[in-house]
Amino acid sequence: MNGLKTNNAPHSSVVIPHFIFGGCSFLIVALLIILADTNILEAYFNSKIIAITHMAVLGWATMIVFGALYQLIPVVFETSLYSEKLAKITFWTSAASVLYLTYSFWVSAFTTHLVYASVFMFLSLFLFVINVILSYLKSEIKNISSKFIIASIFWLVITELVGTLIAFNFKFNFLSEIHLHYLKIHASLGTIGWFLSLIIGVGSTLIPMFLISHQLKKEKLVISFISINVGLLCLILNWFIFSNSMLTIFCWAVIVIGIISFMSFIYDSYKKRLRKKLDVGMQYTMLAIASIIMPILVSLILLLVFKIEYELLFRIATFYGFSIIFGFITTMILGQTYKTLPFIVWLEKYKNLVGKTKTPLPRELYSNKIAKIQFYFYVLSILSLALGLIIKSFIAIKIGSFSLLIVAILYNINVLKIIFHKVKNSNNE
Amino acid sequence: MNKEQIKQFEEETLVLLKNVMDPEIEINIVDLGLIYELYYDGNKKINIVMTFSTPACPLGETIKTDIIETIKQQHPDFITIIDVVFYPEWNTTMVSEAGKKVLGM
Repeated sequence: MNGLKTNNAPHSSVVIPHFIFGGCSFLIVALLIILADTNILEAYFNSKIIAITHMAVLGWATMIVFGALYQLIPVVFETSLYSEKLAKITFWTSAASVLYLTYSFWVSAFTTHLVYASVFMFLSLFLFVINVILSYLKSEIKNISSKFIIASIFWLVITELVGTLIAFNFKFNFLSEIHLHYLKIHASLGTIGWFLSLIIGVGSTLIPMFLISHQLKKEKLVISFISINVGLLCLILNWFIFSNSMLTIFCWAVIVIGIISFMSFIYDSYKKRLRKKLDVGMQYTMLAIASIIMPILVSLILLLVFKIEYELLFRIATFYGFSIIFGFITTMILGQTYKTLPFIVWLEKYKNLVGKTKTPLPRELYSNKIAKIQFYFYVLSILSLALGLIIKSFIAIKIGSFSLLIVAILYNINVLKIIFHKVKNSNNE
Repeated sequence: MNKEQIKQFEEETLVLLKNVMDPEIEINIVDLGLIYELYYDGNKKINIVMTFSTPACPLGETIKTDIIETIKQQHPDFITIIDVVFYPEWNTTMVSEAGKKVLGM
């Protein structure tokens, strides 16, 4: 039985609320994009875009990530979660904080509510950090995937510290540089340090597991780990201390080496996969991995092109953020929801029935037809929104935002269908 | 039971275990090559040596329960003992021809 740790999964009441809140947040994000109207085409730091961004990265992405991570810690760390009670408290405080934070941005309450909202958010995220670190300390497994997760937790704390610092600066105005300078640091820490590291950490275990591929070169992940963390650390130090543009480009190149190395690992896994046909969850996942190229290219443009109108520069910056949050992170989450949530629910409902009666397969807990329609609308929404941002077309933005709303509705239908699945067996069929 | 009868029983039990599915891969565990050895002692005790596709397989316990319950359905008074090993490590060459066909390999 050595190495077998399959009884460590937390109770579903720890995990499921995150998926419900995440799904609702996704719906709110889609609605806010519609309500933001022409603000979407304005500078990336206008309050509406900042509100949507925080709802997307915290209410949608981070909440789902928290829920999934509580379930995946037993898989990656091969130990149980340190405290399920703490996880439940974290959920409620995070949910309240993210709504308060989003409201603060939406109504431009920079000098009033924002300070309190950011402190609540910081404390909530810190509870999560404590839980993951204490789980890691219990674990005997210190592999590259778990190191990525711990690194991402470290970057999450730094991201939140910088975010809280910016919020305080709105009220007390004590920082030496303009807000946009710190916003750039805050965003880079969050997207590269927190999300990218976490996705690589979890993905490097889960993607080969779902593709059923073996004998992969873990050295590529070690290169990725070192490059991303060293590159990001240098980048942040440079922005805080030196502000040297050549050093920025060098750090960018080091980070990109790390990302390419991870992509190469996933490509090996894809080539060696046992199951040739990809299900809808893995189609999303592979699309997400491929889409990492887009923010890399856009960031290169932002770094190298100096003589450019501010209006265009701001739009490119918005597109850069969009390509990360929607092109990469959201695509990954949409896919992995279909890979993880059905299993979580299936295990809960059928673990005592297997062998005694015929049970459905986990994928039969959701509608594959809805998932497929959702996928096509998602591609349409991403392409339309991207086009709208690039050529400044409000019609394209409208098509994209309404398509995204349809995606959010379909996603929520399937999530609720999975969560409220009624047990089927030979007695009640 | 003589040796031949025991061997036949073991083969029948393996066929029976084709009803146990890996819910993620959607192939039965026999064709997936997860069963390394299966012994019957001739006295209502079955010993199985098996593996999982990954040591941290979240479905490991469920698959074990499925095996025990499937055998119990057919032989209610039998004892099934399952020993999970990770050496040799499971790999794709262990998948049967029927399994490869299902996976499109």
